[in-house]
Amino acid sequence: MHLDPKREVTHSSVGRLGIALFLLIVLMAVFAPLLANHDPIEQTIHSLESPSLNHLLGTNHVGQDIWSQLVHGARTSLLVGLLVALLSTILSAIVGTSAALIGGLYDRIVMRIVDAFIVMPLLIVMILVSAYLGAGLGATILLLSLLSWQGGARIVRSQSLSLKERVHISAARGFGANKLYIMRRHLIPDLGTILIVDFIYSVRRAIFLQAGLAFIGIGDPNIVSWGTMMREALDWIFLDVWRWWLLPAGIALSLTIVSITFIGHALEPALDPRLKDEANV
Amino acid sequence: MRQMFKVENLHMSYGQDEILKGISLDVTHGESLAIIGESGAGKTTFGLSIMRLVEGNVSGKIILDDLDLLSLPEDSMRKLRWNKVSMVFQNSNNVLNPVHKIIDQVIEPMTEHRLKNKLDARESASALLISTGFPKHRFNAYPHQLSGGEQQRVLIAMALANDPELIIMDEPLSSLDATSTAEIIDMLRSLQQNHIFIITTHDISTAARLADKVATMYAGRIMEFGPSAEVLSDPRHPYTRALLRSYPNMTTGKDLQGVKGQMDRSVSGCTFHPRCTQAIEICTTEAPSLVVHKGKHLACHRGGIITMLATKNMSKSYGNLKVVDSVSLNIKAGETLALVGQSGSGKTTLVRMITGLVKQDNGEVYLEGTRICKIDKDFCRKVQMIFQNPGEALSHRLDVLELVREPLDIQGIGSKEEREGKVIQVLREVELPTNEHFLETYPHHLSGGEMQRVCIARALVMNPEVLIADEPTSFLDPSVQAKILKLLLNLQEQRGLTMLIITHDIAVARKVSDRIAIMSLGKIVEEGTLTEVVDTPKHPHTKSLLQAAASLHRN
Repeated sequence: MHLDPKREVTHSSVGRLGIALFLLIVLMAVFAPLLANHDPIEQTIHSLESPSLNHLLGTNHVGQDIWSQLVHGARTSLLVGLLVALLSTILSAIVGTSAALIGGLYDRIVMRIVDAFIVMPLLIVMILVSAYLGAGLGATILLLSLLSWQGGARIVRSQSLSLKERVHISAARGFGANKLYIMRRHLIPDLGTILIVDFIYSVRRAIFLQAGLAFIGIGDPNIVSWGTMMREALDWIFLDVWRWWLLPAGIALSLTIVSITFIGHALEPALDPRLKDEANV
Repeated sequence: MRQMFKVENLHMSYGQDEILKGISLDVTHGESLAIIGESGAGKTTFGLSIMRLVEGNVSGKIILDDLDLLSLPEDSMRKLRWNKVSMVFQNSNNVLNPVHKIIDQVIEPMTEHRLKNKLDARESASALLISTGFPKHRFNAYPHQLSGGEQQRVLIAMALANDPELIIMDEPLSSLDATSTAEIIDMLRSLQQNHIFIITTHDISTAARLADKVATMYAGRIMEFGPSAEVLSDPRHPYTRALLRSYPNMTTGKDLQGVKGQMDRSVSGCTFHPRCTQAIEICTTEAPSLVVHKGKHLACHRGGIITMLATKNMSKSYGNLKVVDSVSLNIKAGETLALVGQSGSGKTTLVRMITGLVKQDNGEVYLEGTRICKIDKDFCRKVQMIFQNPGEALSHRLDVLELVREPLDIQGIGSKEEREGKVIQVLREVELPTNEHFLETYPHHLSGGEMQRVCIARALVMNPEVLIADEPTSFLDPSVQAKILKLLLNLQEQRGLTMLIITHDIAVARKVSDRIAIMSLGKIVEEGTLTEVVDTPKHPHTKSLLQAAASLHRN
């Protein structure tokens, strides 16, 4: 049976909606310099202005153009989301398949490490580590990746354990294939759909966590981010500015996360039903 | 002392063409020797050389009663012919003189050598003819009026006329029907006590019924020589086995297989090596000499058919359940062993242990006599497995080309072009199309039979010595099954594959195997040649398997 992730997504209306929304955000991020008519971090004396033709969404308390910040914020979110997801999915795949194939002591040690990570309260660890290591974009990406591969690794391992007993993998072993070959040519392609779903949910979670960190004030204040925008807007909630400051940032973030959720949701029928719940983590 | 007939290092050639290449044999009085082999092996030339009736150069020694026939002057040799040494010529229309009556032709050897007067001669001639079953009222017939079988009887009577010691018979029974054959055999057997018979034939049954000793001759050389019962029931030379496999008879049940290739007398080294399934380096350069090997004479550098794969005390338990219990098997090169048993008897676990997919608790695996401690790439190259369900054994992600190339990719054999060449070659061998379209087909677009052929191609592409097939046809319908089994037999004939076939179906085993091992509850309960096991089963489990086997009768 061929599992075709592309078909699964494009054949469901939810999936198509998700893709459309996500493409919109991507376009926004890609063409940010064209869409923005101001430098998003340039501070001016025109603070807290209402929307006008020059400032589509007005300006914030230090006179930065909110529209420009919004479109540039998409870049930050997507960059963090995609990179973190890529790194953590690769880690999940390597750790999960190797644990399943090698087994024994290696498997036990690796899985205990995974368990240890899973019981740790993620947000608190991140706050503490960011406080120590500083919170540049690179550090955030690395930290998020290191803290988010464990769930995926568990799924990949459990699936690999059953996949490796498949006859075509026995056949490859019978031809003299080593573990690396089996991992590369058979296990990982067979895990394809699972890895794609894992990737998509990782994107979602990374975007959400990055925004959350920025919202509580951990992160480089010079990086334009939807989380930062929302935090700053909250300080001025007693004015009308929240309508063009807080709201657009919140909606952009929500739409991004919803679009990814839709894509993931459309992919789920392609998966083993037992994995559905786990993949939602 | 008993009289002996002995041939030492007999060579015979027509100019450059060497027909006999050093033949050494001995037969004692009262014994008969059959020389079997394909046509062109030199059997007839051998007989004629003893009679000194060949035109080419003959060297060596042919000793009958301390007399070297080759060193005798032609004059004395003529005296010996028909009196001490006679020959039944291969029957053809021109052996008998067309212008003489039958009875006169039988009388001729007696009167020619002035042994008897005409009247006595006529009397013994008619007695002889009658004893061969020749009808009395046809004594005065001419050869062209006789049937082939009658002519043959006359030829035998002529050879016996002067009661010679040594009688050479060249295909004596080939033109007789089955019942006449039985009569003649009875008659010859009764005469055997006082003569030495040398029977050259390609009819193995004649050899089995008439001869005490059998020699297989190939391209002018003796390959195997020993007591006929042993040679024919337990052939040790690959050529003898191949001959027996190609001979239709009621004793063996396996489908007929020929000998691959064509005979070529001019090859160097062992003349059989181009057609041999276990030839090694030395076979191509040096001719093996006929040496005594475990009670038989054998001319083979490898000591006859080798044991290809062996297991010793293989055991595996899951908890308290002994799945495989101390199983020892031996599989000879080029042989098919069928492992038959019900599902759950441990067959699959056993082969998974042999191929290293499951680790055994106990026991050893030997390949060509060497103990295998670690399943490495070399072992995989030599031992290949075909799995039960071809659909599962093929990754749905790869197309036919990639699937068949995968073993070569894994082993890193050859360049990309060489690999593709091998893929095409092996696809042809398993009778699959090799066009671009087929190469790009994914397995879910193939039929069950095609998928199994792809699996077989995958196993064969590395040129393995051993093929293990786990229920290779259980997912296929009977007609496809028949084709796949035929294919496996052909591959065995062509490549000399050693096969271990696992099946629950003893009827399948009967068609493809040389030997059968019956497995029950993790143990081998009975093992033997196909005929032994199927015709005279000893273990109750075997009996019940046979009873339940497929049959076209109601009970």
